Amino acid sequence: MFNVRKLAWVGFAFMLTGTALVAVMIILNEASVLYTFYPPLAAHPFFYVGLVLLVLGIWACCFGVFINYSHWRKAHRGQPTPLLAFFAMGVFVLWFFASIGITIEVLTLIPWSMGLVETTNVMVGRTLFWWFGHSLVNIWYLVAASVWYVVVPKLIGGRHFNEKLIKLVVILLVILNIPGGFHHQIVDPGISLSIKYLHVFMSLAIAVPSLMTAFAMFAVFERAGRRLGGKGLLGWLKKLPWGDVRFLAPMIAMIAFIPGGAGGIVNTSNQLNQVIHNTLWVVGHFHVTVGMSVVMTFFGICYWLVPYLAKRRLTAKMNRLGVIQTIIWTVGMVLMAGSQHAAGLLGDPRRTSFTTYGDHSTALSWIPYEYVMGMGAVLLLIGVLIQVYAVFHMMFFAPKGETEFPVAEAEDGAAPAPMWTERWGLWIVLLLMVVAMAYVVPIMDFILNAPPGSPPIKTW
Amino acid sequence: MKQAVYGLLLYGFLVLPPVAALLESIMIVHMHMQMPLLVLSGIFMARFFQIHFPRFFEKWNKNGVPGVLLFMVIWSYWMIPRMMDETLSVQAVEVFKFISLPFLAGVSLRDSWSKLGSSAQSMVFVFLTVVFLFMAWIYIGADKQICNNYLEVEQKTLGWGSLAFALIMIIYFLQLFYIDQSEYK
Ligand code: HEM
Ligand SMILES: [Cu+2]
Repeated sequence: MFNVRKLAWVGFAFMLTGTALVAVMIILNEASVLYTFYPPLAAHPFFYVGLVLLVLGIWACCFGVFINYSHWRKAHRGQPTPLLAFFAMGVFVLWFFASIGITIEVLTLIPWSMGLVETTNVMVGRTLFWWFGHSLVNIWYLVAASVWYVVVPKLIGGRHFNEKLIKLVVILLVILNIPGGFHHQIVDPGISLSIKYLHVFMSLAIAVPSLMTAFAMFAVFERAGRRLGGKGLLGWLKKLPWGDVRFLAPMIAMIAFIPGGAGGIVNTSNQLNQVIHNTLWVVGHFHVTVGMSVVMTFFGICYWLVPYLAKRRLTAKMNRLGVIQTIIWTVGMVLMAGSQHAAGLLGDPRRTSFTTYGDHSTALSWIPYEYVMGMGAVLLLIGVLIQVYAVFHMMFFAPKGETEFPVAEAEDGAAPAPMWTERWGLWIVLLLMVVAMAYVVPIMDFILNAPPGSPPIKTW
Repeated sequence: MKQAVYGLLLYGFLVLPPVAALLESIMIVHMHMQMPLLVLSGIFMARFFQIHFPRFFEKWNKNGVPGVLLFMVIWSYWMIPRMMDETLSVQAVEVFKFISLPFLAGVSLRDSWSKLGSSAQSMVFVFLTVVFLFMAWIYIGADKQICNNYLEVEQKTLGWGSLAFALIMIIYFLQLFYIDQSEYK
């Protein structure tokens, strides 16, 4: 059989090389194109080559997962896949199809940045970027959600929620995801109003599985808390293991998804997007969603995954440090994201360097919020240093021992998920249908009614 | 029966004038979204008719062939550019669309599907794929505006969209061959 482990290492090597190349080009100031590298901003061709390597690495990992999955299917006929493996399959299917958009974009930008092609179609580039970019954030989210659904219930001594519902959430998020990219282009030209209007529905459709997640998680908590003797309306809350960093970090991450998701719904509404687009509000949004919901979950994972891999133990002292780290990170992010949201509403732009616009009074009114951002940033820096220290310590210095890999079981007597949930061939076909339906109109419009196209531009 | 209610809700939503107007304002959405959704609503609503009029289906659609033929005729009819164009200009044609797609095409497809053997089911897929390919050829190839109500660029878009759908159908077919479906029953 094909060696999947080797494939994963190959993928890792590609991604590492690609990231290094991209970072070097940025540091050399040869890639002043920011994170979305929107054309017509042009970087050095090596920047794009680095991105290609990154995608090749992702694909190597995707194929590793697909091969593993089909191998498991053959060996376990008629059995539904274990939940974490099902999540992995969803995540990597999404990775694969999401990265096709950006691959096409980058492959057209390389000859353009080398001067072999004179102009590029800016709108097609942006659209292909968000085909990928939106799914990317949902890939992170899906990984975090896998921990919420499968690991957190075990840590609180409970059982996971109905397997069929969990798998349905994964399937919906995979099928409906990619066209969500259009909600990043609500103020872009060249897309007709009726198409944008249809995409509001598409974008909000993704909120449905997210809400299902919230409902399921709180049901799990309440059940576990009551089993531990929690009484009354909210007594079960007190029974949860707040002092355990493995629970505390992902729990705060989940709570952060409430303002995160609500902010997202603001962003995706046409009129409200006019107010917040390209202001610091959006930066605040992704500090809550990425910086809290996703990253804090990953931080929490470290406290059992790293000792598990290193065959060591999580000590009480390290747990206490983890709790402190979690609190510092939470306070830092709340200051950071809160002030960014507020400053954004007052018009403070994103993606610009500091200026007071000739001491204009509006611009001056942003400054207090920017101080708060600075304080948040200091706390976050401290938090990240502690986290890096903790990971190194748990990897190399913590006492030897056994650590469990926490995976929750189903409720007693719960039915396994029906086998139709495993029809990945069909889910992929539906995903492609949704993508075809969503992209053919704007892309054709951009190409058949194309403006002259833009030469590469380097601003600094 | 719950299904039939969902079907009715979907149908009711699609019939709402603002929804219909929005979907019909974009050519490809009209043909590749509104029309299939109407069929889908019929597929759901079929439960109601199957439960209340079992004798009718027993008598007229015993082996599923008449039903699937009716589906094919109705579906092909609505792929003709002239017909789609007329729904926007002639109210009666629009009404016929909203009746024929769910109640003639959707209901009969649902009733026939389980009665057909797997090779006949494959024939339906082949039929749809061929129709999509044919439409891709017409709509990408035509160098004149063929509808009164839609621009040439929309026509081309519909052509490319049809081509994409045909390719996806082929992918679906291929995966049926390579992945053992018996496991998912
Ligand atoms: C209910 C869920 C969500 C909705 C409806 C939503 C919606 C949006 C929208 C419409 C924007 C574009 C704002 C603009 O530029 O005008 C945006 C930006 C962003 N979102 Fe979300 N979001 C959601 C959840 C998330 C999650 C879970 C993550 C990450 C894990 C995330 C990460 C981001 C990022 C990184 C950006 C900024 C992208 C950029 O550089 O322009 N969002 N979101
Ligand atoms: Cu998005």
